[in-house]
Amino acid sequence: MMVPMAESMAGVGAGFVIVGAGIGVGLLWAAGLQSIARQPELQTKLQAVMLIGAALIEGTALFALVICLMTK
Amino acid sequence: MRTKLNRGLWLLAALASVPVFAEAEEHGLSQSAVPLDSLGGFVSNSMVVSWMVAAGLIVFARRATRDMKKTPGRAQNLMEWLIESLYGFLESIIGAHLVKRTFWFLATIFLFILAANWFGLVPGVGTIGWGHQTAHGFVIDQPLLRGANADMNLTLAMALIFFACWIVWAMREVGPLGFLKELFAPKGETSGFLKVLMVLVFFCAGFLEIISILFRPVSLSFRLYGNIFAGENMLEAMARIQPGLGWLLPIPFYFMEVLVGLVQALVFMLLCAVFTLLICQHEESAHEAETKP
Repeated sequence: MMVPMAESMAGVGAGFVIVGAGIGVGLLWAAGLQSIARQPELQTKLQAVMLIGAALIEGTALFALVICLMTK
Repeated sequence: MRTKLNRGLWLLAALASVPVFAEAEEHGLSQSAVPLDSLGGFVSNSMVVSWMVAAGLIVFARRATRDMKKTPGRAQNLMEWLIESLYGFLESIIGAHLVKRTFWFLATIFLFILAANWFGLVPGVGTIGWGHQTAHGFVIDQPLLRGANADMNLTLAMALIFFACWIVWAMREVGPLGFLKELFAPKGETSGFLKVLMVLVFFCAGFLEIISILFRPVSLSFRLYGNIFAGENMLEAMARIQPGLGWLLPIPFYFMEVLVGLVQALVFMLLCAVFTLLICQHEESAHEAETKP
């Protein structure tokens, strides 16, 4: 195919970033669920904190997305 | 500018068809909002949606609070429930003192982002507009409506407004000196040689802190834009991926987008709240301790 190299590699890079962000979010929610299971009365507080953490992890993934969009 | 997802499809189409028409065959969402020729050429379709959402929110708020009763009607009841639960939620995060100062901004930004995100999911957004006839059917060049947050300009504007508010709030809460102290001064109890070391370390860390603070508006705006734009792009790709099933395949993703719209509005508001708390928190607890008799 006549796909330019930079563009195809940007796609591969995006894949790696998704792996990293996926592991991060997975660890976050695993820990969050464990603490909620241990102390269910803290659920609302923990959820807010977990959402902030998820947003920060996701932010890194989105920077990669923006770079992918920019390189093409 | 072309969207990533549909570039492959576009290339296939370009190989099969006349190269001159290749540009026009391009499907998918453009990365930025499209200016509408029929509205003067400088009003973009995302601006139209943001105005509609803002007008809708204003009209609803006016209607709900115009004739307030002790036993609330339906609109008033919804409004009260929304505002009260938001207030309680924010109060539990940033405390009773800060929430009084910042609630107007945080609640507005939450309601606006939420309404804009959900409005972008209404069928017709992105599919009604001006276009032209091609060999593969009618192609829309200038959709009349486009999700408001799928335009970087709006998200960046909101993030910068928050940044300005954040500076004002920080100045009013801790003052310029407290602000610098929060950034550069050492925290914790140390003495002797360790104290000197700590002063040095925290002074250097202050510069890192400044970089991370300056990066916040960028990350806030990219996060919202990236999520909503990616969602719209995915819905578009799902509608086109299998001819004949375009009505069915996007449906699960629509549910996901409803969730994403809510979560992103919540995240934007929460991050604004937490950033405000981080800069105002230190002094506030000391202040409270001082004023206690």
